[in-house]
Amino acid sequence: MTDPAVERNVVICKVRRLPAPGEVLVRLGEMVKVDTPIARGRVRNTELVEVRVDQKLGVDAMDVAHYMLKREGDEVKKDEVIALRRSFFGSSTKILRAPLDGTIEAFSRTSGKLLIRGLPIQIEVNAHIPGRVTELFPLEGAIVECKGAIARGAVGVGGEARGPLEVLANGPGDVLTEDSITKSHIGKVVLGGATVTPEAQIKARSVGVAALVVGGVDEKDLSGLLGHELNLGDTGMERIGFTLVSLSGFGTQPLDEDAFRLFKEYEGRLACVDGTTQIRTRMLRPEVILPD
Amino acid sequence: MSGKEAYLIVDIGESTRAVLVRRLNGTYRLAGIGEAETTIEAPELDVTIGIRRAAEKLDGETLIGKDGPEGLCLLCASGDGGGLYMMVAGVIGMISGESAQRAALGAGAHLIGTFSVDDPRPDYRLVEIMRATRPDIFLLAGGTDGGAIQQVKKMAEVIKEADVKPRFGDNYRLPVIFAGNVEAREDIAVTLTEEYAMRAVGNVRPSIERENLGPAKEAIYDSYMEHVISHSPGYESLAKWVTRPILPTQAAIGKILFDYAERRRVNLLAVNAGGSTTDIYSVYRGVFNRSLDADVGLEYGALNILKKTGIDGISRWLPKHMDERTLRNIIGNLMVRRPSNYLDEEGMVFSALARESIKLGVEEHKRLASRLKGVQIQRTIADTFIQSVESTYLDLGDTQVLIGMGSAFTDPGESAALLLDSVEPIYITELYVDRSGLVPHAGMLLGEAPEAAFNLFTGETLQRLGTCLCVDGNGGGDAVSLMLTRQDGSAILETVKSGEIKTLPLLDGENCKIEATAGKGFSLGKDKGKRINATVMGGSLGFIVDARGRPLRVPDDKATLAKWSKALAPKAAGE
Repeated sequence: MTDPAVERNVVICKVRRLPAPGEVLVRLGEMVKVDTPIARGRVRNTELVEVRVDQKLGVDAMDVAHYMLKREGDEVKKDEVIALRRSFFGSSTKILRAPLDGTIEAFSRTSGKLLIRGLPIQIEVNAHIPGRVTELFPLEGAIVECKGAIARGAVGVGGEARGPLEVLANGPGDVLTEDSITKSHIGKVVLGGATVTPEAQIKARSVGVAALVVGGVDEKDLSGLLGHELNLGDTGMERIGFTLVSLSGFGTQPLDEDAFRLFKEYEGRLACVDGTTQIRTRMLRPEVILPD
Repeated sequence: MSGKEAYLIVDIGESTRAVLVRRLNGTYRLAGIGEAETTIEAPELDVTIGIRRAAEKLDGETLIGKDGPEGLCLLCASGDGGGLYMMVAGVIGMISGESAQRAALGAGAHLIGTFSVDDPRPDYRLVEIMRATRPDIFLLAGGTDGGAIQQVKKMAEVIKEADVKPRFGDNYRLPVIFAGNVEAREDIAVTLTEEYAMRAVGNVRPSIERENLGPAKEAIYDSYMEHVISHSPGYESLAKWVTRPILPTQAAIGKILFDYAERRRVNLLAVNAGGSTTDIYSVYRGVFNRSLDADVGLEYGALNILKKTGIDGISRWLPKHMDERTLRNIIGNLMVRRPSNYLDEEGMVFSALARESIKLGVEEHKRLASRLKGVQIQRTIADTFIQSVESTYLDLGDTQVLIGMGSAFTDPGESAALLLDSVEPIYITELYVDRSGLVPHAGMLLGEAPEAAFNLFTGETLQRLGTCLCVDGNGGGDAVSLMLTRQDGSAILETVKSGEIKTLPLLDGENCKIEATAGKGFSLGKDKGKRINATVMGGSLGFIVDARGRPLRVPDDKATLAKWSKALAPKAAGE
């Protein structure tokens, strides 16, 4: 791939799916807005805390079971007492409190260890694009369809973002600098030119720009922004304050004329951006959707 | 044409390459090569379309009809979308875990996850990683026959909890091959049968002193055909057309390299620098090993090479100075844009990345291609698990054949430079390059027509660059003085200074005798040997003398790099 692929007047389908079973909140044929919840569910919390009950209570691991107030499977609140040891008629009491809200996942009667898993995490997937629900996935989500244009990029960082499109470049070869970005760009999708300076990236974050779309970005600046190298080009989970889409790769890359014209046509209208990139595995590329 | 009179041999990779081999007057000969785009993805979603297109470019007559090949045998290997992605698990990472890795890599797999009971990561984390990565096959090893059962059972429980889904859809169960303690089979079957298509085969490590990879490799091939291939677009039809089971491309490469090394009774090292991975194959004293660095490649893995070696590791190989930003941007663009043709600067960076990717790959290979770890002879128990006491099979001072494969190996001079710079062979080594990309095809043909496969390999694809004499150590002044006595009795006397490379005129295939003496600080053989007498063969570059010493020191001045490059450039007539 070399240049951004731009398509106009196309039907765009977005699969909106939970990573785990949940509840689908929309009906087939329903019209949805960008922020309409499509499905909601709960996923297992990866936070698992090990507690040495024997050490906390000062007893032999084999005796810990006698002092437990909770069992495997019980829910616990942070600071709730889960084990108690009284001695000398109550004059010396040792208490073990839950370090977090969660569920007791495992308790070993031989090692005196207790595992508490954090409460399941609520997850929700919204429509991301305005349109009609054309297919349902029971317990998982739906496909939302709209008509419009789409520009696919080379690499991006950050996940999904949306906002009104503002074109800050006067021409495909312009460089986006910090002076161009103002408070008026809060929540907007901003189109720069051939590249963006590191100062402008920092300004975009501080102002609260939803997404930056540019022809190219310096790899060194991007690594600096991320705090690490891009490695294998799997992105989308970064939390850098905005989504960045580079349409043609790294360095100074003048915007494709056709892409520039397209963005000018849609200026002021909604742009739905996703910086997720997976180069190795599924060849996912970042995209800018411009619904009609 | 009738079967066995002709073979259509197809490798489905980034492109689909079909080779026609025909028997004429009792001898198999290459009749043509056809190439077409691989059609595993939309809109075609059927690999057989690409095969038909490639075959149509081969011959006037129809080779593949409506129902498959007509009057010839079809052999096929697949390495791209239909490649084999595996996860392996063992009890002790460096014992059963490594044996399982060797079995998977030897069967041609891309290894995308390794796990063991002694893994420092908590079980729940292993479960998360297993869930997030979708393999084609899971290989579980662990425990010697008759040994402990509990630990391998624990690993099976982790795999059960992970409920790993196969790469191609959820409509079939992931194949899990158990190649561990035979006495644990029943327990493992009880644990895994509900979630997975489980089968048990002979233990990869029946005892601590013995490794037995054959049954696991065979089971991997069977599962590959039965489960993976049948779920890839178009492979179901293809599986009915082929004369032999479809192989992973890397397995076909391994087969022919092993056969070649065995026939010639040499130690062989082959490096394949690809876009997404770096594959290293070796055969030392009859033992085959393959390792794969899945995160280091010249396109997808380009930024990862940068991360591992640092910017200086790349820039030191560039023939001219390049500022850091430009270099980083070019590397990034190699990864995200995958250009089909390189501009000058991109070509330079690609070449520098190739050197570092092979270096990293060879280092990884040294670790994996080792004698069995954990085997105790006359040491205390404390030494048992110390990696440093185990030596690798890889011995660059006893490597007779070094082969370069992949897109980084272009013209003979650059290919020789790439092999010498990245692998740093010492003493006498023959350098070859896979000129036509037909190594997998020769590997596929091996089981059907061994002589034809050998001829295809040596005659059509393997290009001999030349024998090289590389001095070990570092010193100054004259590094080596040598005399080449050619078959016509004429002699060439040459002295090569430290830090230089020279090529001497020797015809491709011409044998000659060489007597060489190393200068101060250098050696030409084991135990700091100073003299060497040998018979060597010329190649397309003649006979190469690399007097830069080992380990190779890359100079800061770009003029020396240019001299090295010029020294290996093929000479024009009369030069």
